[in-house]
Amino acid sequence: MKKLVLFLLLIIVPAAVLAAGLLRVPATVSTTEIFRALNPIITDAWPREGREFITRVNSFKNYYGVLLAGLPLIFLVHYVVFGPKKFPESGEKVFYYGVFLRLVHWGAALTMSLLVLSGLAVIFAKFLGGGALVLKLRAVHVGAAFSFVPFGVLLFLLLLKDMFPAPYDLKWFLVLGGYLWRRQRPVPAGKFNAGQKLWFWLGTVGGIVMFYTGYTLYQFKAPVSVLRQYLVIHLSLGLAVFGLFLVHLYMSLLAVKGALRSMISGYKDREEVAYMHPKYYEKLKS
Amino acid sequence: MARMKFLCDIERCIACNGCVVACKEGHQLPTGIYRRRVIIINEGKPGEHSISIACMHCSDAPCIAVCPTGALYQREDGIVLVNKDVCIGCGYCFMACPFGAPQFPRDNAFGARGAMDKCTFCAGGPAPTFSEKERRLYGQNRIAEGKVPLCAGMCSTKALLAGDGAVIADIFQARVAKRGSGLAWGWSRAYKD
Repeated sequence: MKKLVLFLLLIIVPAAVLAAGLLRVPATVSTTEIFRALNPIITDAWPREGREFITRVNSFKNYYGVLLAGLPLIFLVHYVVFGPKKFPESGEKVFYYGVFLRLVHWGAALTMSLLVLSGLAVIFAKFLGGGALVLKLRAVHVGAAFSFVPFGVLLFLLLLKDMFPAPYDLKWFLVLGGYLWRRQRPVPAGKFNAGQKLWFWLGTVGGIVMFYTGYTLYQFKAPVSVLRQYLVIHLSLGLAVFGLFLVHLYMSLLAVKGALRSMISGYKDREEVAYMHPKYYEKLKS
Repeated sequence: MARMKFLCDIERCIACNGCVVACKEGHQLPTGIYRRRVIIINEGKPGEHSISIACMHCSDAPCIAVCPTGALYQREDGIVLVNKDVCIGCGYCFMACPFGAPQFPRDNAFGARGAMDKCTFCAGGPAPTFSEKERRLYGQNRIAEGKVPLCAGMCSTKALLAGDGAVIADIFQARVAKRGSGLAWGWSRAYKD
């Protein structure tokens, strides 16, 4: 009897424990549990940001459409109601833009126009029918971006000293640059008004952001979550650039008589400087 | 009309990558283009599982929602296809897709993206059925021939099921019932508490 107990204790029990250990099957995991582990790998950040990304990207098409249709309409109303800014001409000229600055400006203007047009072609690709035409315009967008860089850098270096914000810039914004005045009065502005300064900073510093996000989107080598963020940044800043591009176009071509001429010849009428850039005019006189 | 669906039985998938190779070879895809891929968790450890992923041909497809050209469209039977003559390769669909299905060839000048390529459910594309253009741009049209997609057809363990959603759901449910692990779906399975 004792022997039997000893036998059981020394042989059977350890053997049973060993066998139980060897034969133990890992606890069954439900298919749902496995999918729960697989989903984050498959979909990455999509469950957190996917839906928002889709609605955001689609809303941009509307915003661009509103600017494209709305701004020219506003310009037309402004032109009809207030008319272009004209100044009494004394024939006296003020040298305003150097020849190098003018060359750089027109280089930037050409590449920026190409950027805006080809960018719009991608956003409104459906309207153009997509395909080879828009595919080529996408290539133009990339080429124009690289061509804009040297002009953007030079413009930044040439104009920086006149583009720092001044206290009277706020006043300029408050009176909307005097564009809603029927009577000619000097507006609070230095060599460049607050609107021009905004355009300058958006074109240069904003341009760096546009270039970086755009290049990443072109390379397509970043994580998809980063690409989503960059596309939204690119489209948001692009919207601001597009809006100010149209405003700049209207101001220079139609709203201010002589603005286009001054960027070609380099000379502004003395009266225009006196009214539109009085702080600079005072500095010139003294 | 039947609603075409893929279903990968993760209890059966052995990560042999046969589906990936079959798809690549069958459609003569260029290097770097993967219409289908296999994802593995716990590789070499207990609890290793794998799944074969391609375009899921979503009902409310995000790619169609964001495409600025209208190149993406959905057939009556739920198959999502891209018209490569209209696609501009902008990549919006890739960013909108939860599954990373859209692929882009980079054989153009300066590595620019060409028209998007993705799983066609072996249903070709908008080009005339069985035309040389369809074969070159989109690969085989096995659906028009009355065959299942190549990946599912060759799957050695029959983990990857493709076809009428109602039929493959029945097959999968029968399998789960046979395995004895209870209900395959339902509220109590999908959500805790």
